Amino acid sequence: MSIAQSLRDDAVHAARWPIRVGQQTRRTLGGLKDGEIGITDIAPPVVGTLFAILVLLIILFPVYWMIAAAFAAGTGAASLYEEGFFASPTEWSLEAFEWVIYESAFVFDSYPQGEAGLLDYLYAFSGSYLANSLQIVIPTVIFSMVLIVPAAYAFSRHDFAGRTPLLYGYVLLTQVGSGITVAALIAIYVVFNWLGFTNSHLAIAALYAAGALPFNTWLLKTFMDSIPRSYEEAAIMDGAPRRTIFREIILPLSKPGLAAVLIFVFLSGWNEFILAQILLGADKYPLSVGLYLLLEEYGTPWGQFAAFSMLYALPVVLIYFFAQRYVESGLSFGGMDG
Amino acid sequence: MSTSTGRDGTWLSQRMPTRDDLPGLLVVPNIAWYGLFMAFPLVYLVFLSFTDANGAEDLLRGTYTFIGFDNYAGLLSDRQFWNSFLVTWLFVFTSLALKIILGVSLAMLLTHQWVRGKRYMRALAIIPLGLPPIFMITLWRSIFSGARFGVANEVYITIAGLVVENPTPIGWFANRWLAFMTYVLTEVWMAYPFVLIIVVSALQGVDKELHDAAKVDGAGFFNRFYHVTLPQIKRPVWFASILTAAASFQQFLIPLIFNDGGPARQNELILFYGYREAFQAPPNMGEGAAIMVIALIFIGMFMWLNVKKGRLAEGINN
Repeated sequence: MSIAQSLRDDAVHAARWPIRVGQQTRRTLGGLKDGEIGITDIAPPVVGTLFAILVLLIILFPVYWMIAAAFAAGTGAASLYEEGFFASPTEWSLEAFEWVIYESAFVFDSYPQGEAGLLDYLYAFSGSYLANSLQIVIPTVIFSMVLIVPAAYAFSRHDFAGRTPLLYGYVLLTQVGSGITVAALIAIYVVFNWLGFTNSHLAIAALYAAGALPFNTWLLKTFMDSIPRSYEEAAIMDGAPRRTIFREIILPLSKPGLAAVLIFVFLSGWNEFILAQILLGADKYPLSVGLYLLLEEYGTPWGQFAAFSMLYALPVVLIYFFAQRYVESGLSFGGMDG
Repeated sequence: MSTSTGRDGTWLSQRMPTRDDLPGLLVVPNIAWYGLFMAFPLVYLVFLSFTDANGAEDLLRGTYTFIGFDNYAGLLSDRQFWNSFLVTWLFVFTSLALKIILGVSLAMLLTHQWVRGKRYMRALAIIPLGLPPIFMITLWRSIFSGARFGVANEVYITIAGLVVENPTPIGWFANRWLAFMTYVLTEVWMAYPFVLIIVVSALQGVDKELHDAAKVDGAGFFNRFYHVTLPQIKRPVWFASILTAAASFQQFLIPLIFNDGGPARQNELILFYGYREAFQAPPNMGEGAAIMVIALIFIGMFMWLNVKKGRLAEGINN
């Protein structure tokens, strides 16, 4: 089954849940009326479910608060200085999002005034935080994929001198994330200054790609390990060259692994903050740094800040929502079946 | 196999790459890239920690001297360092304990037979996992805003209002232990979904018949948890603990964004402390590098522990 197909099935299944709940409720109510189901049968599930919902509401309150603030620009719910977290739906507006698009540097560094042509918009876009983020994320993804796929294949399917110690080193490195990068920050700063690599999107993308290599190479290798060797053996019998086997068997069958790696690599570029802030100049800051600057700027209304950060988080949330199975398989690998 | 190390060159030729090693070339760019952009800076960091370099200019111009272990010796007698070191471990253990308690109890709730719609609730419960860290940390900074109607202050004033009259808003980041508490709460909120995912998958493997048998024998809730559930989720919880403790040890953004590790540098977690020493005016890169190297040694211990306990390395021979 292709990825698009399984995504669609997931979406359809999720969209149908109100129908399922409705059907079940009607059945339960009917049973209750007919006396087939006693009140003692349904009390525990009702209480249990309500309790779980209450717990979730408390834990996720911060997320609600930010969404409410973004949609209630200009009212008490969008301010740290006025009473009330709960905006009434009549107060909801898109004001804060309009501010993000027209006034902030999220999409355009300054929104073209008057009669502006397409080129003016493009020019205004090119100086925005979003454009900077894309200029970092795209090369990060390209560098990483080009480096990861062949290495994962070689680690999974071939034996060569030094394979075991190299793999062992990578396994060790998968177990720590950004800490190493932060620890190396001082040296990276000096080395990059020394080489004249500062204020370059490509250089920082190279750095992000490097940081993402051990985890993702190892992840893709474990995916490839799960492809049965008998497929290749059959192809070898038929006289297919190695290259064809890689292209026709390994690559298509490791699609879920490739999707997971693609997502993680994208996120490592999109989410990173501290290296970007230190190694880039103000005109090259990506969205993560823009978000921080907005917070530091005294007097940014909370509602506008909330709208900005929601738009920044949106692609990440969408990825987690629609590609949860790939993300989870990556996040939990090794931990699930010990 | 020949053991000869003589002039005929067998010793050497056995170690020279052969045709069979050619696929190894596919790995070379990957390793070289990592070596150039990550491993080399790390080695350079160790070198830096043995110098008295102040700013980056010193290093670029070569105006520094090699001072051996002086930076390390200086740190060991520096109260600031010990404060940072101990606060970091306190942060690791308090947040770990809370993460495990929250993660395990939430997992038990969201796998319980009395809860309907468990799958959707679990998808909602792991939302924090799907948010960029800088987003979550700036969100929590706003929650703990010192303003009268910030979320934390509203909650505090509502609760304290029951006991005393007209409670005044709290400056959460201005008091040492209150600030520390905000760090811990934020860290717990960001990382509990990870524990949740791992415990849920372990709970689904817990034998249902064993539970029912224990119930028939009259074992109460806590007895069943202790004797049936716990032994089966122990290993995954251990694994999750080491991983998430390692992540807490490396927490850097919370002190940076909340209040610069304040008040008065009392809550500087170790990576942030090293960063401050290296970059704040007057910069002291040599000392900052030494702090980072010490932090790296502990990170390395976490890495080793995890691979040992998590049996990850078994996959190498696949």
